[in-house]
Amino acid sequence: MALRGDRHALTGVYALDALDTAAEAARFERHLSRCQACASEVRGFRDTATRLALAVARQPPPALRTAVMTEVARTRQLPAADDRARHARPGRTLLPRLAVAGAALAAAAAVILAVVLINTQNQLGRTQQQLSQAKQHLSQAQTELAAINAVRTAADAVLVTKVTPIGGKVTVVSSPSRHQVVVTTSGLPALRAGKVYQLWLIGAHGNKIRSEGLLGLHNGRGGPALISGVLPGDIFGITLEPAGGTVQPTVAPFVAIPA
Amino acid sequence: MRASEPEPTRPEGRDDQYLDGLLARVARGDQAAFEAVYDNLAGPVYGLILRVVRDPAQSEEVSQEVLLEAWRTAARFDPAKGTAATWVLTIAHRRAVDRVRAAAAATAREQRSAEVPVPHDDVADTVEASLDAERVRRCLEGLTEAQRESITLAYYGGYSYRQVSGLLSVALSTIKTRIRDGLIRMRDCLGVSW
Repeated sequence: MALRGDRHALTGVYALDALDTAAEAARFERHLSRCQACASEVRGFRDTATRLALAVARQPPPALRTAVMTEVARTRQLPAADDRARHARPGRTLLPRLAVAGAALAAAAAVILAVVLINTQNQLGRTQQQLSQAKQHLSQAQTELAAINAVRTAADAVLVTKVTPIGGKVTVVSSPSRHQVVVTTSGLPALRAGKVYQLWLIGAHGNKIRSEGLLGLHNGRGGPALISGVLPGDIFGITLEPAGGTVQPTVAPFVAIPA
Repeated sequence: MRASEPEPTRPEGRDDQYLDGLLARVARGDQAAFEAVYDNLAGPVYGLILRVVRDPAQSEEVSQEVLLEAWRTAARFDPAKGTAATWVLTIAHRRAVDRVRAAAAATAREQRSAEVPVPHDDVADTVEASLDAERVRRCLEGLTEAQRESITLAYYGGYSYRQVSGLLSVALSTIKTRIRDGLIRMRDCLGVSW
């Protein structure tokens, strides 16, 4: 075994995800890409860790299966990793290669290299910025998805489906304990230009009406839209409004369901 | 609830290839294959996450994220780089570790650190006391106390090696070596090919 030096000894720590920071892990991964012996040792350690995991298997709650399968049925899969995209990630592959090339080049080439590196750095900065924005959006979406799931799987969840007079149907799942409802629609008529479907929460006495935003439609399906702060007696309704929506409904809702 | 499409009989002792094949089908959008993957790996995924995260409700949530990620990214699984089980359980462990480190901020963490995990009990405690568990238990017993402690704190406890070094008041470089030496011994004891 030709493993020497300090860095090599990190194989075990890395395989157990026990490095302290993502940066430290990234640094070690760069090392792994150049150290065949380390990479194969990490593989063996990961398989060993898998055995440690199998040894503590527990029967998950049955609700997990239902929740996962429900999500699977409507979650789009990602394509196999795009090679171009992978090569475009400068941190892992491009920089080391540039460094190797740079060593081989004469001093005259160093200037060009510096320019390339600066551009790469800039690109890296932009990519990281985009990545962090994307992550933020993703985490917002995940939080909302988690909330939607929580309503759907709440012990007191009640599901009501109504066929609307204009066609299609609206489904409301409400959880009184969470004060939340989740709304989905299917088959509502396609919108004419300049029109939107707007969601409303109407207070028990009809005197307080709160906009809950516009209904997003994809392939004839609407939602899921999460509505929070629902009180006993509230009514959920949908109206057809001018583009952009309105502060208060301009027409009576074409469908109303106790929230 | 087992799939409309019949699953191939699971050949004895060839779980890895069986799961790899299933995952290739999952990558093509085969939900029945995913149900079979679930049936094989949801237990280890949930058990591992529960072991690290401790809180059952949070563990269920993280397990759901992990299994859904396996579905979403199945096309990126590369059997040349490791088995399907290792792929899924690596995702599970990373997510569990992310969760506890994110929550590390305060008191919950200090309480956790008070209870140093005892691997024997946990393994004995599993619902499915499998041959696997028995073998892992025996191999863990074959480590030195120091190696076992470092590995279980890092893997089952979700602690970084710097935290392990702090918890045990031992130098960082010593922890690094203990973990590696312990894993080599575990690997050889379990007969993991590499």
